[in-house]
Amino acid sequence: MSHAAPAAPLAIDVSATARVPFTRLVGVEWRKMTDTRAGFWLMLITGLLLVAAIGITELVVQLNDLGIGFNGWVQVMITPLTLLLPVFPIIAVTSEWGQRTSLVTFTLEPHRLRVLLAKLVAVVLFAVGVIVVSVGLAAIANVVNAGIDGTSPEWNLPAATLTWIIVQLLCYFLMAFGLATVTLSSPGGIAFFYVVALLLPLVVYSILLALLSWAPDVIPYIDMNYSMAPYLAAENDPTVMFLEKKPLAVVTSILLWVVLPFVIGFRRVLTSEPK
Amino acid sequence: MITVEALTKTYGAYTAVDDVSFTAEPGRVTGFLGPNGAGKTTTMRMMVGLTQPTSGRTLIGGHAYADIPNPGRHVGVLLDASAQHAGRSGREVLSLGAKVMGLPSSRVDEMLALVSLTDTEAKRKIRNYSLGMRQRLGIAHALLGDPQVLILDEPANGLDPAGIRWMRGLLKGFADRGGTVLLSSHLLHEVEIIADEMVVIGQGRIVARGTRETLTAGSQGGSQTMSEDNDRLAAALRAQGVQVDPAGAGLQVAAEPAVIGRAALEAGVVLTDLRATSVNLEDLFLELTSDTQREAPGAPASQPADQGASA
Repeated sequence: MSHAAPAAPLAIDVSATARVPFTRLVGVEWRKMTDTRAGFWLMLITGLLLVAAIGITELVVQLNDLGIGFNGWVQVMITPLTLLLPVFPIIAVTSEWGQRTSLVTFTLEPHRLRVLLAKLVAVVLFAVGVIVVSVGLAAIANVVNAGIDGTSPEWNLPAATLTWIIVQLLCYFLMAFGLATVTLSSPGGIAFFYVVALLLPLVVYSILLALLSWAPDVIPYIDMNYSMAPYLAAENDPTVMFLEKKPLAVVTSILLWVVLPFVIGFRRVLTSEPK
Repeated sequence: MITVEALTKTYGAYTAVDDVSFTAEPGRVTGFLGPNGAGKTTTMRMMVGLTQPTSGRTLIGGHAYADIPNPGRHVGVLLDASAQHAGRSGREVLSLGAKVMGLPSSRVDEMLALVSLTDTEAKRKIRNYSLGMRQRLGIAHALLGDPQVLILDEPANGLDPAGIRWMRGLLKGFADRGGTVLLSSHLLHEVEIIADEMVVIGQGRIVARGTRETLTAGSQGGSQTMSEDNDRLAAALRAQGVQVDPAGAGLQVAAEPAVIGRAALEAGVVLTDLRATSVNLEDLFLELTSDTQREAPGAPASQPADQGASA
């Protein structure tokens, strides 16, 4: 290499360069969630659904002279979230493959685990934010509704139950993230998610539970919906009366649908060849 | 400086890249030339860690790519100009890159100006960009972090001749400031225009490397001539054992011009034209990579010039 120009050293001095701070990666992933039309519409629809849920419920409650209390309002807010919130982590992960931006992302930060974790932090921060806003709106709706009725607001939701509602929401949210890393495809990830989160519990497991005597002993261990239902149901809710609280079932269902997809999906992302 | 050491990538029984070694030196533009499917893209992907090599390694300025902190500040990479979110604007793509690298947003404006993307163009969604505009944006993205090394896969693809000349100026300037440039192409004339050195790859193997001069040096040259009596000149040359073939109104002679001039003088024939035919680099390229061409040279092109999806 004797003819190399003296002004052009063969080695590059990288000692003065710091690695990209993790917070910056999180900031970039946050921005990527919001700077496309898909992200914008998804957020707008989520917001509109929350507002619509409050409005419609308020109307029904007032017309029928019902008192649903804080518990009722939280349930009203959480239902749209269980449907829509998991789409965010799925899109955040899979759009990198569908739009092939992972080529650039993993070139600017070759340590893919950092990118994945930054994405995870960004979407979890988003989820927590939406949940806080939703529960806050539920509380406001509860107070306003009681004010209209001229009664005092009913706080009929124990803190433990609220915590379980949020835990279950976040578990499904994390499952969506994991399934996205497993499928690396938006339609695949969304379909997989709704089959596991909605179709199986509502269509398959409910029938099995009704028909088979051993089903209540098995299904909670493989489904987060049924494993957590006894913890977040209101007292003497008839739909979950035949289910007991099984801490082990909570653990195994989370292992199956959160931890396992994370392990398989993260391995896939770390070793795959983004094309 | 890029040092590629015995890079090999196999997919099952198929060897995409076979023991590839070469260097790209600072101050030079190195062209990585080969037909589609020869292994250019796979080699470049292995350089930046997107594809794990089966064996071998790449050092960029003495470091493995993954060990370079904030690599965008040292190595500018453009692997596929179309691999961008179609729903983002060009400016947004550069802004995201600048944010990762920790650069001020003024750098984005500088780069947009450098690659001549206007303000309105930069605000448009990438789905509305032509391939040439995507390439310009990709170059801007690669240059964003003011790197010392550039790795560009088919950067001239989709550029018009003026665009290719613009890129030559840009990359020459980068190299003159001490930068290292490696760019790939499946089109010889692009590399001929832009690169100082060439590395030719075919079927996953390096088949030739050097400057234009050294690549053609070993090959047999010849001359073209015309005279007032071609038959007599041809006979005189053949008498010396020189191969002569008719070529249009003149002769193609497998000898240097001096040999022909002397023969003409001795035979008393007046030459009306005489010039050395330089070895056509195109022929050399086709010859070097002939085993690996997807279609035989000269076969009727079944498809228009493709989009350079070389793997």
